[in-house]
Parts: sequence; structure tokens; C-alpha cells
Amino acid sequence: MLVHGGARLLTLAKRCTRKVHTSRTHKDDARWPGWELVVGIEVHAQLKSRRKLFSEALASDLSSPPNTHVSPFDAAFPGTLPRLNPKCVELGVRTAIALNAEVQHRSAFDRKHYFYADLPSGYQITQQYAPLARHGRLRLQKDDVTVRIKQIQLEQDTGKSTFLPRNRLTAIDLNRAGMGLMEIVSEPDMRSPEEAGSYVRALQALLRSVGSSDGNMEQGSLRCDVNVSVNRIGGPPGTRCEIKNLNSVKNMTVAITCEAFRQIALLDRGVPVVQETRGFDEEKAETYSLRSKEDAPDYRYMPDPNIPPLLIDKNYIDAIRRNMPELPHATRARLLGQGLSERDVEVLMDVDSGREVGYDGELGRGAVAYFDEVSRGRDPKAVVNWITHELLGQLAFRHETFTDNPISVEQMGELVDLVQCGKVTGTSGKTILRHILSTRTPDLPSKIAEGCQLLAVSDGGASLEKWCRDAIFALPEEAEAVRRGNVKVVNKIMGHVMKASRGTAKAQDVRATLLRLLQ
Amino acid sequence: MTVAVKDNICTKSLPTTCSSRMLENFTSPFDATVVSLLSENGAAIVGKANCDEFGMGSLNVYSVHGPVVNPFGLEGGPPEQRRSAGGSSGGSAAAVAAGLCDAALGTDTGGSVRLPASYCGVVGLKPSYGIVSRWGVVPFADSLDCVGVVGKDVSTVGRILNAIAKYDERDRTAAPPHVRTKAREMCAIRLGTVGADGLNGLRIGVPQEYFPTELQSSIVQSLTKVLDRLRGKGATIMPVSLPSTPYALSAYYVISSAEASSNLARYDGIEYGLRVEPPPGANLTKTANVYAHSRSLGFGKEVQRRILLGTYALSADAFENYFLQAQRVRKLIKADFDRVFGVPNPLRTYASHDGAFSGGVDVIIHPSAIQTAPALPGLEDTPPSDSSTLNAYVQDVLTVPASLAGLPALSVPAGMGSDGWPIGVSIVGQWGSDEMVRRVGEVLESCELESA
Repeated sequence: MLVHGGARLLTLAKRCTRKVHTSRTHKDDARWPGWELVVGIEVHAQLKSRRKLFSEALASDLSSPPNTHVSPFDAAFPGTLPRLNPKCVELGVRTAIALNAEVQHRSAFDRKHYFYADLPSGYQITQQYAPLARHGRLRLQKDDVTVRIKQIQLEQDTGKSTFLPRNRLTAIDLNRAGMGLMEIVSEPDMRSPEEAGSYVRALQALLRSVGSSDGNMEQGSLRCDVNVSVNRIGGPPGTRCEIKNLNSVKNMTVAITCEAFRQIALLDRGVPVVQETRGFDEEKAETYSLRSKEDAPDYRYMPDPNIPPLLIDKNYIDAIRRNMPELPHATRARLLGQGLSERDVEVLMDVDSGREVGYDGELGRGAVAYFDEVSRGRDPKAVVNWITHELLGQLAFRHETFTDNPISVEQMGELVDLVQCGKVTGTSGKTILRHILSTRTPDLPSKIAEGCQLLAVSDGGASLEKWCRDAIFALPEEAEAVRRGNVKVVNKIMGHVMKASRGTAKAQDVRATLLRLLQ
Repeated sequence: MTVAVKDNICTKSLPTTCSSRMLENFTSPFDATVVSLLSENGAAIVGKANCDEFGMGSLNVYSVHGPVVNPFGLEGGPPEQRRSAGGSSGGSAAAVAAGLCDAALGTDTGGSVRLPASYCGVVGLKPSYGIVSRWGVVPFADSLDCVGVVGKDVSTVGRILNAIAKYDERDRTAAPPHVRTKAREMCAIRLGTVGADGLNGLRIGVPQEYFPTELQSSIVQSLTKVLDRLRGKGATIMPVSLPSTPYALSAYYVISSAEASSNLARYDGIEYGLRVEPPPGANLTKTANVYAHSRSLGFGKEVQRRILLGTYALSADAFENYFLQAQRVRKLIKADFDRVFGVPNPLRTYASHDGAFSGGVDVIIHPSAIQTAPALPGLEDTPPSDSSTLNAYVQDVLTVPASLAGLPALSVPAGMGSDGWPIGVSIVGQWGSDEMVRRVGEVLESCELESA
């Protein structure tokens, strides 16, 4: 009954100009009691393609000198024509599939006109009327929320303009002009700044795992525009304001909070919220007006006559679906299924999300792939411990990250084997690990262990016996204390033995032998 | 062969000004595909031809280089009247008519090759849309622009067309090879039945709606004579109806102006072209205000007029009633043509076609222009009255339908008007039947020579 009513309400809403949000059960928020916050996000993610969306110019990176990756088409020279890069379409379709969206069999490109110095042709090629994909969704596990995706479209990025106050000039760099972007538009399904943050982070992880974008807000490969409105609980939706130019998830959540308070303060005073576009001042922690609705430009959208409609058939979509890289939720489920703890999976995937995204959808090997290869034919729990605790720990100690890891899959695998079967002690294993990290030797751990005399003694306990006797002889007072019943002191004698054995003796065996000798 | 190239087609070694102050000192960093193809085939590019600014005009008077004078009647001294060479490819037609070159490339958006050819007494061809690459052709209206060829006879024009009608990957609106092959095959089958000599069994349609009141009576007489001669060669002449024709001119001006306003948005004086610094104290708050200084000086009055009209047609208020309505009219015009031609449109048939002729006509023939070359206005700087601007637009009334439908159209000289100035007759065929159109043109031309 309720479902039917909800569906009717949604149909009614479609006829209204303003969208009704989903019938989500309201959760009280102590920050604004009695009020409900409604958030929708438009994400622009730069496509990680080798070449631009409509020209053959190569993608640049942050180190490229300005205006070195510009073709005549990108600079809007007269007589140039666009040519759609099929790799961009592939990455867009991969993203659409990962977001459970319906890839449209026919989509088209339009021109969005406005004058700005970073837009050489005076229009941006986008997909206003017929986007690449519609009706997707993204599940936020931790918040137990599903955010609906309204549409995904391909469009051109603009160049970059930098204002130089000293010369009172604006410098234009066209390296980025014409790069492909995916605009991912969500429905207004989020109800808190935290949910908005989760959404963006989940989207970033998904884009990186699919290989379609670096999804890095700080570097500019992911940009968010946020729509915020407030309404009294149970009341009709409020007027929304758009916040642009947010450059980090943290700033986005703070900005949403500030904007919510601003709108509530206005409405409490009986002043209506004006629909406008606002920016966010980090230092003052407040939003400010950029442009009101009256100043909103008329973009005069026109179908681009130079670009035939994009026709995508089922075979193409199926082929991409078959070759899709593993998505985060599938990876998580798989790792948990192998017996890893939630925490280990969390750490592994977090490190993995920092792996490099290759051009044109070729994925780099990250921590998860590393783990997969090392754990082949081995105990996954042992392997994950070595990776997440020892390896990452040692790397962190050296102020390095997983990308700096020199230890090959073979080396790591052998190390785990040696320790598991007792050929080297755990302590020795750690020593070997440290050795490889600092010397970057390609030698296998077994060779290193031999060379450094770290192999565990297997002479039936003879060396162990000798070391213990030596230690007892070296520490007579402590030995006497143990004999008299103060068992704790045996740890000190153990330390002596461990040192003598250079870590090759097993701690348990040392303790047992010492206690026996000191009976 | 010596060839002139219209100044809106990019050449690396010569400036490409588009007859505009905006690009007065512009040299393109690359050659247009058609220019490369001509050079590869051994043609000598002798120079760039004057035209209406950015291809917008029917009289070639809107040019930073000054107006083009029709060379007809120039032999032995100054002409008795200064008459227009037509536009926008006036320079191309005049160069060929004056014997300055064997052939010339032009562009035809609404008649800009056929009209000047008709006024100057030479042959002008607008090929099927998508047959010749537009890479390097400065766009006026992308969905209408075609590179056209002007020559002294049909054979010359045919040779040039063969050299430049090549598939180019860089132009995504170019017809792909398999479609070209299909069209060629369909045309060849029909030409086969018609016979190698003469026009036996060829069916020629005369559209009823192409005789507006503005049409000079001497032109109708010339057309009648042409039709008689073709009948003598074995063709069947029959009336046909293209009922949407009266709406074509309005639809054309809405669509072409809208696309022009979009295509000319790039001229901002930043990457290339004329840059006029805003004077001290000028409002610099909006980018558009900065650009306005360069654009107001760089564009001539006609271009400005069309940009304003086109911008309006795309504005939120007007989009539905002007731009979308014009597109609907365009669909009707295409449907009109598809209904009268005997072969289906290769772009619209999905199943393969055996070329079977299903009634209908092979080509349509009509006058190229409503009059002979008009007199040049006194000074091009005097602002034209509303009526004279609209009169200039009316010159295109007979040529725009074929442009809107993307069909091949060839204007061939067909006698003189009552004032002794040239008259042209246009042959229009189904999409891709450029060969058929050319054949009819050849026959028409030989008829003219015979009767002379």
C-alpha cells in the first residue's frame, strides 16, 4: 500500500518542476533538531584516457609545461572537427556498469554555449539531452544507504585559468582543454554531510577500481558540486542552493553543514531561501553567493552537428561487462570469504585504493593483487598478517608507502613459507624483511637467511642448550632468582639467549630450556 | 590544372582570411583535406578567392577585401554595369569566368556555389553532403556546408570532384565508404538502363513550387528551351510537387544562423585572430564584455546580424518555435524529395537495394536563380534597408531546398536573360547520385553548344 502510494507520489513529483526526495525514514540529527537536510551531488571525474575526448592530443599530467598538450582542435582553430575517442566511451560504459546504470543504446552530444577564456570554442561539448547512461545506484555499506544515480554523461573539460595579480593578467593553460570528463549526477538521496562524504569516497574507490579515473579531488581529477536544501521534518522540500568549487571531501562536509545552518537560520527568521550558486570560503567556514538565479546564463543548448549519435549495442556492453575489473564490494566479499578479518580487509583495500590507475583502463597492481598472488597456495591469514602488519609497518617506519615496496611476490611468498615451516623464526623473518627493504636486494629470503646465518638451528637443541648455559653463566644473580621461584626474571635471561642466537632460536623453546635447566 | 581556393578553406602557405577583419592576418597551421588532395593530384593552387565574410551572403559584397565584380561583359574595357558575381563564392566563380584559373573550390551552404556560377555563366557543383571532407573548411553551418567546385565546363568540374571526393576519417560527418559504394552502385544500375549516349528513358521532374513570382520571365523561357532539348535526347519530362518548398527559405535561415552563431563563438582574439584591447576604464567583469571589443570590430554587419538572429533562435524562449520548428520543416523537405525520386535515399535505406526503379524521377531540374546577376549596390558601407537585406536573402530561394536535404546539385549555363546576362539551370539528384547529375549536366551542356 505504502509502496504504491510512494510510487504515485514520485509520479506526481515528476510532473512538478522540483524533485521530491525518496521516502526515506527520517533519522534525527542533533545538529538541527526538527529539520531534515537533503543533499544531491554532481561529480565531474576526469577520464583516465591516453588521449583527449575529441582530439588526438595526449593527456597531460601535473608536471607538463603549460600549453604543450594542445591540438588545433583543442585551441578551437578554424576548420577543425571533433573525433570521438572510443577509449573514453569504453571507460564511461565500464563506470555505468559498475554503478548498475542502464547504458543507453543511443546517446548524443550537444553544445553548451558560454564565453570564458578557458573555453576556446565558446561552447562545451556535453550530453544534455541524451546521456550515455541513466538510472544507476551506489550502495554505501557503512551508512546503509543506497544513493540513486540519475545519469552519467561524457563531456569536455575546460582549460585552466590562473589569475596573476602582479601583472593583472589571467594566464590560460589549454593542456586540460578537451580532456574527457564523466559527469555523474545523483538524485537528492543523501540526508547528512557524512552520507555525502561516504558517497564521494565510495565513488572515488569505484572509479579507481574500474580504472576510469584517478578520482583525486586534491589533484583536480574529481570535482564536486553539491546541492543542499533543508525542510522541516514532514514538510515539503525546500529551495536548494548549489555549492561549487569544493576541493576536498572534508571541505565538502564542512560546507554542507555551514550551508544547512545558513538556510535554517534564514527560514527560522521567516526569510525564504533564494535559489543560487554559492562558493565556500574555507577560512571563514561559510558559503558565499557566486551567482543568483537571475544571473544564470542561458546556455542555448544545440545538438552538435559534427558528431553523429553514439550507438552502443548489447554485444559491446556485454563484452565490457565480461572484462570488468573486480569491484570493491566483490573484492571485500571475496577477501572476507577467505577468512580475513574485517580490519585486515579494510587495511588492504585502503592501501589498494592508492594504487596507480593506468591510462585507457589498464589497471596497476595494487595491494590486493599482491595479496592474491602471494596467498596462492598459502594460508591467507598468515599472508595478510605479514603484509598488513610487518610489510606496511616497516614501510611506514621508513616513511614509504606500498607503491615503494621492492619486495617481489616470490620473495614475500618464500618468506612466509620459511616462517610457517619453522626454518626461520618470526623474529628472523622480520629481520630478513627489513634487510630487503633497506638493501633492495633481489635475493630470495632463503639465500639471505643463509648469508646472515639466520636459519633456525635444527641441531636437535644442541646450540640452544649451549646458549642457555652460557646465558645462565653470564647472569648468575638472575639465574639464582629464577631458581628461588621468581619466574618472571627468566625473561631477562631469555633476552640474552635471543641475542646470542641472533634471533634464530624460538622464544618458546628458549624459555622451556631455561626453565628446565634452572629447576 | 590551375585551381583557386575560396578563402574560407585553410591553406598553410597562403593566408585564410574568410574575407573577415577578424582573420585578416591569419594563416592556418594546416591544409584542408581538399587542398592536400588537389596538390597530391598535381593541381597548382594559384591563390585564394574572395568571398562573402565567413560564407554569409548572396552577392559577395560583404568582404573586407571589397566586393567582387562579375567579369561577364568585361572583355574589352570596363563593364557597362557593375554587377554582382553572386555569393558567397563570388570570387571563385569570377576567377573561373575571367579565365584566371581552370577551376575553383568554393563552399555551398545555401547556394553559395550554384548562385555565383549561374550569375557568372560557369558551371558550379554542390556535391552530396558528406562526400567531400570538411576538415580544414572554416564552418558557417556544419549541417549544410559542402565544398563545391566551379569550372568552365562539366568535365573539368567532374575531374576536380573525383580528386576531392575521398573519405576522410577526420570528418565524422563524411559518408563512410560502404555507403558511398552502395550509392554508386544504385546510380550505376540506373545509368546502365538509361544508356551511354543521350538520356533514353531518363525521367526528369520539374517541381511546380520552384516558380515564385519574383522569377524573371526570361528565365522561364530559357528553362523551357532546355527541357525541349532534353526531351529531344530521349528524356521524359514530368511535373512533380515538393509541397514544403515555401517553408524552406525560412527554415534555412533559422538553422544556418543558429549554427553560425555557435561556430563563430570561438573568435575571441585570444588564440588567434584580431584582438582589440578594451580601452582604459572599460567594464572587464564579464568575459563577454572583453570579447565584445574584438568581435564588434572584427565582424562585418551581415555576420553580426546573423549571429544575433542565430543566438535568438537558440535562446530558451525561442528554441522550440524557431530552431526545433525549422528542423521539423527540414525533415518534411527531405521527405518531399525522397517521395519524388525513383531510387530510395541510400542514407535512409537499411536493407540493401537492388536499384529497382519504383516510378518517380531520376533528377529534378529548375532555374538556379530568380534573376540574372543583380547590380552591385552603390557603396557596401551604406546600411542596407530591411527590404534590401531580405531581397538578398530571397536570392537563395531556389537553391536552399537541395542544401537542406544534402542532395547533389549542379548549375549549368543555359542561355541568356533578356538583359543579355547569363542564366543557369540546376540539376538535382538523389543523395549519392552525383554521377547521374553530372551525366545530365554533360548532355545539357552539349545541347547548349549544339544550339549556339
